[in-house]
Amino acid sequence: MNATRYLHIILAGTITIAFLGACGGPPQNNPLLTEAQQAYHKAENDSMVVLKAPVALKEAEENLEKSQEIWQSRGDKKLIDHYAYLAKQKTAIATETAKMNAAQDQVERAEAERKEVLLVARKAEAEAAERKAQQAIQELESVKEEAKNAQKRAEEMASRINELEAKQTERGLVLTLSDVLFDFNSSDLKPGSKRVVQELTSFLNEYPNRKIQIEGHTDSIGSEEYNEQLSMRRANSVKDALVSNGVNSTKIRTVALGEQYPVASNINEAGRQQNRRVEIIVSDEKGEISQRK
Amino acid sequence: MKQSATIVLLALLLGACSSTKPPTQKITQTEASIRQAEQVGAEEYAPLEIREARKKLEQSKDLVEDEKFEEAKRTADQAMVDAELAQIKALSAKAQKAVHELKQSIKALQDEIQKNINSNQ
Repeated sequence: MNATRYLHIILAGTITIAFLGACGGPPQNNPLLTEAQQAYHKAENDSMVVLKAPVALKEAEENLEKSQEIWQSRGDKKLIDHYAYLAKQKTAIATETAKMNAAQDQVERAEAERKEVLLVARKAEAEAAERKAQQAIQELESVKEEAKNAQKRAEEMASRINELEAKQTERGLVLTLSDVLFDFNSSDLKPGSKRVVQELTSFLNEYPNRKIQIEGHTDSIGSEEYNEQLSMRRANSVKDALVSNGVNSTKIRTVALGEQYPVASNINEAGRQQNRRVEIIVSDEKGEISQRK
Repeated sequence: MKQSATIVLLALLLGACSSTKPPTQKITQTEASIRQAEQVGAEEYAPLEIREARKKLEQSKDLVEDEKFEEAKRTADQAMVDAELAQIKALSAKAQKAVHELKQSIKALQDEIQKNINSNQ
């Protein structure tokens, strides 16, 4: 009996709870609301969203609260869904707004970076230009140095040639060797000519591009034909002396001019001695020698 | 909190009976919002959202025809947030695209500069 009565009470209580259930106890789960809550929770913990989209986030919160209140009080599911949907979309708007603002900030930073890059580029270009200028200056210096050296060499050569008693003529440098004069009817080099031959040798060694032409001359005594042969022998004497000093024979050309070009009168012995001579013509840098006309 | 809940509940209860006017202003606002979204390229960048907004706008107008004004307003509200989302999504996508392009142009610039520096050395 007691047991039956107890059962009745439980039954009645269960029914009561079932009726009351509509007003109390935990309401039925709403998936859209849950989704909106999760999305909102994520957004409110994102400092970018809180900072960049506070208004949309606030609107999301308000809609979420409405939805939750209706849900708590077991209101119309349509309304719960409606405010949950608004909350969800507002949250998405807040999130997207934050993203957009972040992107705009990035654009600004990128612009700054772009300027920086350009600045660096200009600096690099300036440095490259500076390097080029320095190079050009150095090249100029070395050209100057070279020119100076060339000038020095030319001066040296001029002084060497001076020693050889050279004359600058329209044919180039012409050496009339007063020390290389010959006895009558002789082509032997006199002892005094040794120094001249030695200087000529070192000159030719020093200026390897230069060639020489040795022209033999005689006085007017004797036949023209004989004198021509004699003048050749005199030129060859000088050539032989140079070759025996080590000068390459291809650098030396000998010419027999006989009695055709006296430099002094043949009337007396003093004049004739002047004519018994060789003349040496030095070529230009290219090895060219202009010939007598 | 409890007080506000009561007020909301009251408002809702009253709302069910008080909404006897069509939400004309809301619908106009929503239409404007959709147009704005379209203008910033929502069709391209947020096609789902803009479609949803248009669909709900039509639904809202149909509900007005049926004189279900309260539901018509809610649907218009939803269409409105959909349009807002579509708009902000399009703007955000464009901004991100701009960032990407800008970064690429900077990269290209850097490459070009490096090339110049190398060829000058």
